[in-house]
Amino acid sequence: MIAASIDRRTLLGLLAAGAMAVAPHALELPLWILTVFAVAVSWRYLCERRGWHRPGPLVRTALLLFVVAAIYRKYGTLLGRDPGVALLITLLGLKFLELKTARDYFLCLFLFYLVILSSFLYSQSLWLGAWALLAVTVCTAGLIQLVQPAGLDTLQRLRLAGAMLAKALPLMVIVYLLFPRISGTLWGLPADAYSGLTGMPDKVQPGSIRSLSQSSEVAFRVTFETTPPPMRELYWRGLVLWETDGRSWNRGQTRASAPNSFFPLNEPVRYQVTLEASNKPWILALDLPASAPMDSRLQPDFTLESREPIRERKNYTLTSYTRYRTGGLGPVEQKRALQLPRNLSPRVRALAETWRGANADALNVARAALDYFHRENFVYTLNPPLLGNDPVDEFLFDTRRGFCEHYASAFVTLMRAAGIPSRMVIGYQGGELNPAGHYLIVRQSDAHAWAEIWLPPRGWVRVDPTAAIAPERIELGFDAARRMELQGVSFGGLPAEALSRMLELGWFEHTVRQARWYWDLTNITWYRWVVDYGKERQERFLSSLGLDDISWGRLLNLVGVGVLLVTLVYALILWRPKKSADPALALYLRFCRKLARTGIKRAPHEGALAFAERCVSQRPDLKNHIDDITRHYLHARYGREGGVRELNTLKYAVARFKI
Amino acid sequence: MAASATDAVILGRRQLYMLPTRYGLLFALLLLIQLLAAINYGNGLAYALTFLLGSLAVVSMLYTHRNLIHLRLSAGACASVFAGEVAKFRVHLSNDSTTPRLGVAVMHGKNEIACVDIGPRGSVCIDVPVRVTQRGYLAVPSLTVVTRFPLGLLYSWSRRVELRQVCLVYPAAAEPTPLRASPVETFEPTQGLRVGGDDFIGVREFRAGDSPRHVDWKAAARGQGWHTKQFGGGYQATVWLDWDTLAGLGVEDRLSLLARWVLDAQRSDLRYGLQLPEKTLGPGSGEDHQHECLKALALFGYTP
Repeated sequence: MIAASIDRRTLLGLLAAGAMAVAPHALELPLWILTVFAVAVSWRYLCERRGWHRPGPLVRTALLLFVVAAIYRKYGTLLGRDPGVALLITLLGLKFLELKTARDYFLCLFLFYLVILSSFLYSQSLWLGAWALLAVTVCTAGLIQLVQPAGLDTLQRLRLAGAMLAKALPLMVIVYLLFPRISGTLWGLPADAYSGLTGMPDKVQPGSIRSLSQSSEVAFRVTFETTPPPMRELYWRGLVLWETDGRSWNRGQTRASAPNSFFPLNEPVRYQVTLEASNKPWILALDLPASAPMDSRLQPDFTLESREPIRERKNYTLTSYTRYRTGGLGPVEQKRALQLPRNLSPRVRALAETWRGANADALNVARAALDYFHRENFVYTLNPPLLGNDPVDEFLFDTRRGFCEHYASAFVTLMRAAGIPSRMVIGYQGGELNPAGHYLIVRQSDAHAWAEIWLPPRGWVRVDPTAAIAPERIELGFDAARRMELQGVSFGGLPAEALSRMLELGWFEHTVRQARWYWDLTNITWYRWVVDYGKERQERFLSSLGLDDISWGRLLNLVGVGVLLVTLVYALILWRPKKSADPALALYLRFCRKLARTGIKRAPHEGALAFAERCVSQRPDLKNHIDDITRHYLHARYGREGGVRELNTLKYAVARFKI
Repeated sequence: MAASATDAVILGRRQLYMLPTRYGLLFALLLLIQLLAAINYGNGLAYALTFLLGSLAVVSMLYTHRNLIHLRLSAGACASVFAGEVAKFRVHLSNDSTTPRLGVAVMHGKNEIACVDIGPRGSVCIDVPVRVTQRGYLAVPSLTVVTRFPLGLLYSWSRRVELRQVCLVYPAAAEPTPLRASPVETFEPTQGLRVGGDDFIGVREFRAGDSPRHVDWKAAARGQGWHTKQFGGGYQATVWLDWDTLAGLGVEDRLSLLARWVLDAQRSDLRYGLQLPEKTLGPGSGEDHQHECLKALALFGYTP
């Protein structure tokens, strides 16, 4: 039964539970709040340990008022998430000072569960989830200690708590998956600050894409529902840049007009994107998206823009066509697509005009430009030299070393100088297929810039000048390009076979990479089933179970039935009488059962030898068998050695024993 | 003795009940608050924690139930006592399973008698003390077994268990009073090892109910186990303790005076006999004889 007053060890258990529950808040709340908690708790512990006087009601009330006032001063209110959690933690600390009865202890432990829950309001990471599970185990062990102060040591208590939680987990999963979710909230949510997020810039100048390519952070992940297109067609469209001042490119004035329609030329590609937070409104889509997801708009240049900046992971499903033919070009767009910087260098203009003069067809002009990149000694490099005020001119005639953005901006400038409407597109190209989960990981380092030119019958046509210099970047992805550069291999030179041999990974790198894939899969699975498991995902999950349009009532019934079934299974396991741990005893009991059928029953107090004597006196004909079995049993059970052999002999003898 | 009483009771599913404790109700309130927070913030982990704790409560139901189910209560010996003393009924709680039973409380009505932990395949004895006022047979009080293990959220208790166990209650012995009758006194030498004299004649194993005065304490202190010293030999006088000599007194007073005389006679190492209206015992001596005499007094007037 629960004792009225609690000993010091129980206090220590409570203290451990409290420390575990409060710890994650150190990352979010002001330090002084945790200090109040720690000081109050240690004070109480020292009172117990050193026999100090516990603070009286006057001191406690003063402390309480002080803490509440301090929290009010800090937040300006006592309502809402942050002040609420701060109050909960500090008041729990002060509660330690007056802990007395079992009721106080129970209340504290229950509130620790609430503190654990409150830490989820700040983060829902896998790590926090794992930590919370540990904290819940320690809190539960604290409850056990409260109910059963003696008889179990700390380890046994933790193990019991762990065993109970392990049994609770499957039940929890059933309820978790099936409990009906609602969209929206019951009452208002507090505003959060968003900062420190990386994403595609809305303005490009030499170096901006390259700086993005230094980051291996995940930009988004894609799961294809149809056959994924080959790597070289994976152009993830982000932004279209129209205007340039010779140095930087930007979107210019966007006009809200009806989106240009396009005619798909191949099968649609359906896929699901999980976009990481970027604090930017761009929504990445495979070239070209046919429709816009919820809360976003398809722009006239076939890019997608969300109404709000993306501040948390976002999921959407899209359909795209990789081969297409776009519509015509309006006069306004034509003007924008031919805009050139005022100070365009004469050398650039002259180069473009020679191509224009030699080729009547716009497509051939573009080919001439690509050919020029290929023929002249242009180099694709991840570490291009810095460029001055006229980067296009410098790049084309002096340095000739550049990254995708250099090639794209030079190409578009040249095309415009030759009178061909063109524009720059930035986004991501390629991605890393995660074989562990069959989805594509696109990182910030896959950021890319390419060009689009407008050709009269076909509309906007994608031209990637980088592909002319470094086809490996497009065919094999950014990671391969990076490794080629590291090994000093020139792009576009090696035959495919030699290249694949060279890019083969060592076992260590391979293992690291595989570990990274599995880790990424773990994270995204966690995200899909924990953080993002709301109404929409639940509906998808239920329809995959064949439970479309199920009502709340039926869903709750289902939860009840599931819980009942699992509990029943547990009940059968827990209440099943356990078999004897000793195999020798089990065999001997079988022998006794055989004898019992003839009416010779062993009394509970009767030892094996005494029983054998009595049996023999009643059935002298079985003397040999009975003596044999008894001897083997005694040897197998109590003998020092040869246990296994004796056991086998016993098994045989008991099996053969017939009356 | 109730008709349903047996020597041993194994607690089955139909004998066990369960309800939440007030802490259990408080826990339910906590779950409700957590669920509201989870719904409001649409927080997956908060949902998960809420449901985990709810499932934990469900699982703890099974554990609490398992803590009592198939627990065996059996009656042990109970030494006879005099009315006015405290009878101690010995009850064994045995655990036939390999999981320990922790925090099992035995209650009589609202009084907790003992709270014990029983190890795997172990058993524990408890004494159920009852203050007795009346001579005769006293049945063991009905007992309930209660537990809150492991989380204190639920409270499981058994139906009242009636064990077939009785305690013989002798009449309360009266104040020392001189023997009123002038009985026939004969002297005869005892033959052989007649137990009941004052010469030490050896020891035998201790049996529950032996007088603590005769326990071989020295041997017990040496760790040689419990033994009872036996005495015998010598000449003994024979006295008759006669109901009829106490005419004029009430039945209970007569019985308690006779009980006193039986005790005194045994203590003075006399051979004594008991003369009751319907029964004559003795003459004899020794603890068995004393018990027979006291039993006859205790059950005087009871129809067998």
